[in-house]
Amino acid sequence: MNELAIKDLLYKLADDQLILGHRNSEWTGFGPILEEDIAFSSMAQDKIGHSLAFYTLLQELGEADPDTVAFTRNANQFHNNQLVELPNGEYDFSLIRHFLYDNAEIIRFEMLSQSSYEPIAKVATKLKGEVKYHVLHANTWIKNLGTSTEEAILRLQSSLNEAIPYALGMFEPSKYEQELIEAGVYPGEEAVKAEWLKRIQAVLEKTDLKLPDFATVEPKMGGRYGEHTEHLQPLLDEMAEVFKIDPTAEW
Amino acid sequence: MSLKSLDPRVTRLNLPEEVLIIEPKQELDQFETYEAFHQKKEGAAYTYVGPVHAPNEDVAFLFAKEQYSRRFACVGIWVARTEHIQVTPYTNDGENVYDMMRVEEPAGRSEQPEAYEIFHLKKRGKAHAHAGRVMATSYQEALQEARKQYGEKGPIVNVWVVKSKHVLQSAEEDKDMWTTIPEKKYREAIAYRVMDKITKYKEENQTTAQ
Amino acid sequence: MYGGGNVFEATKFDDLQTEDPAKLAEFEARIARGEKIEPNDWMPQLYRKQLIRMIEQHAHSEIIGALPEGTWITRAPGFRRKMAQMAKVQDEVGHAQLLYSAAETLGKTREQMLTDLINGKSKYSNVFNYPAFTWADSNIISWLIDAGAIVNQMANAKGSYGPYSRALERICAEEAFHLKYGHDAVVHMATGSPKQREMIQAALNRWWPPIMTFFGPSDKMSTHTETLMRWKVKMASNDECRQQFLDMYVPKIWELGLTVPDPNLKKNMETGQWEYTEPDWDEFKRVINGDGPCNAERLAVRRTAEERGAWVRRALLNPKAKYVKPLA
Repeated sequence: MNELAIKDLLYKLADDQLILGHRNSEWTGFGPILEEDIAFSSMAQDKIGHSLAFYTLLQELGEADPDTVAFTRNANQFHNNQLVELPNGEYDFSLIRHFLYDNAEIIRFEMLSQSSYEPIAKVATKLKGEVKYHVLHANTWIKNLGTSTEEAILRLQSSLNEAIPYALGMFEPSKYEQELIEAGVYPGEEAVKAEWLKRIQAVLEKTDLKLPDFATVEPKMGGRYGEHTEHLQPLLDEMAEVFKIDPTAEW
Repeated sequence: MSLKSLDPRVTRLNLPEEVLIIEPKQELDQFETYEAFHQKKEGAAYTYVGPVHAPNEDVAFLFAKEQYSRRFACVGIWVARTEHIQVTPYTNDGENVYDMMRVEEPAGRSEQPEAYEIFHLKKRGKAHAHAGRVMATSYQEALQEARKQYGEKGPIVNVWVVKSKHVLQSAEEDKDMWTTIPEKKYREAIAYRVMDKITKYKEENQTTAQ
Repeated sequence: MYGGGNVFEATKFDDLQTEDPAKLAEFEARIARGEKIEPNDWMPQLYRKQLIRMIEQHAHSEIIGALPEGTWITRAPGFRRKMAQMAKVQDEVGHAQLLYSAAETLGKTREQMLTDLINGKSKYSNVFNYPAFTWADSNIISWLIDAGAIVNQMANAKGSYGPYSRALERICAEEAFHLKYGHDAVVHMATGSPKQREMIQAALNRWWPPIMTFFGPSDKMSTHTETLMRWKVKMASNDECRQQFLDMYVPKIWELGLTVPDPNLKKNMETGQWEYTEPDWDEFKRVINGDGPCNAERLAVRRTAEERGAWVRRALLNPKAKYVKPLA
């Protein structure tokens, strides 16, 4: 199996989770109710933990150690999709992103737990249960708020419209797509996307929210190839502010 | 003008510069309360851990799971709305509340017997633990049943009774949500061991604790 | 995290003569036997009032206490610190939730407590009105402020009120991690590069004066204090807590070659007591009354968080729901 293809897959999985975990951690202490603050922080920690697990697999394949990889690269070296790097906005946007992202993430984890590449299969199998809670959390909130007040429905609908082009960017194919599929490592983005659409539709059908017509939506691609919005570099600078005082130090 | 903080997250909140007074929060702004119970390990009794504020049972479950089972081993969570739980009087430590209760006439009865969950508090200051389930047509009858089945031995200072249908219980297939908890070492004291570093530093620099 | 200090001042000593003597005797006998009081028990008004005040302030201290360390949540260096810092700040929010619930069992709703916090009517631990300038400040808070809090909370966990004890037991179990994490981070800084050492010493210098006020001024022993001690509401005097803290942690600071910015700090071997420069209690009072470096910001953050989340709470509010205070 082409090692570059595996690495490319691992980078996108890890970077997505690091950046979203970081974004979600910004909510700690500012959430709409204490209990939700706690739940959101747990999921942020899980995501950072997942990224660490995948960076560790990369290290085993000869890449630098996880701290160096996470804290010293520039934006154009990151493979995350653009959805995860967008600023948190109001809680409606953060929730919608969480819903769109985690419903895709659970499918990736389910499929990866069957991967022919054993190290990934092991990690995915182990961590799947955590993502299951993330999805339960997201779907419960969307079902509750998506059937509540006009104000809440309007907010969520507008965030959904805003997020969808970026969400479609989650499924940007990598240049190794065909190889990964043929080797049974990963079923490919098209397969994930098809299943994702079914699942989010099943939830949205129970609400007053409507998925925009994808024909009218221009997906925001490029993230997988290092093209990012203007929001990623400042996020990375902030994340590495202390680390870069002395990258060789033990903090 | 918004406030510039040392915390970049706060700066992004665009806080107003002056502190303004808020209107008193409305009743239920923080929702109603639910009581949560956890199961530490397979086969152990569900034990009371504390309340959460939530708008409904499903959200209460999401909240209880992270508030009460993120740090220590757990295989299941139950939640019940506080309003649905009937509470007996408390006795002194060492006594058995079943021996001291008057039998009250039920306020209402169901036509068919239904399931009730019984929780016992063995000592003041400890936590209520699940004693078992009984079938009855009223809370009062459930207590009588509980007394027969679980109330004979040892001190019981207080009993909670709740209809089983009012308890949201985590499902068997949800257990994998908790499997990785013991591996999250970064939030356990045991993961932080620095004696070696301190000893080395003291040797090299001749410092003492005096 | 929590310090004492301003907890028992300003409330007038209620006249116990108005309480039913038989019930009062039964209540006091229960506490003397070492039994806990549970929410539905009869209790004197003074007991209820002081406990609400104390637990509420403790809860506020946790939610506000999440902010100084939260300052560094997005900038923690490396995975190990990043995840731990997130978990630690999360725990403070969790502790606030536990404590607000315990206070609610005594009859004050969370809505009322949050309103009083944001409007400056209730106090919280004064140390959180100071800023965390650098990552090292955050480490000092994690270690020494939590250490102080644990001294306080371990004592209070043995108090007479059941729901507060239960909450504190859980909090103390969780805070064992905070203390070790904080110490670990400080040790790494102190034994690390010259720059790291400089950062941690500077942070210690900044935080020492607030730390010395953490337990509050010496208690004035009055009938009031004696009553609260007999009722196991107040478990240790402020000075006892401060002495215990100094005993446990000054040696651990010194062994790292760090200095404490108080030339008078030493243990008197004859009395076994620590001697130190008297903290600036005028500043303490000024800051607690609103004039500290971060008071305005701390409250503005809470207020903004509440306002930004209001639409969520409005959306899910069920007007038919009935509020019932938590059971235990």
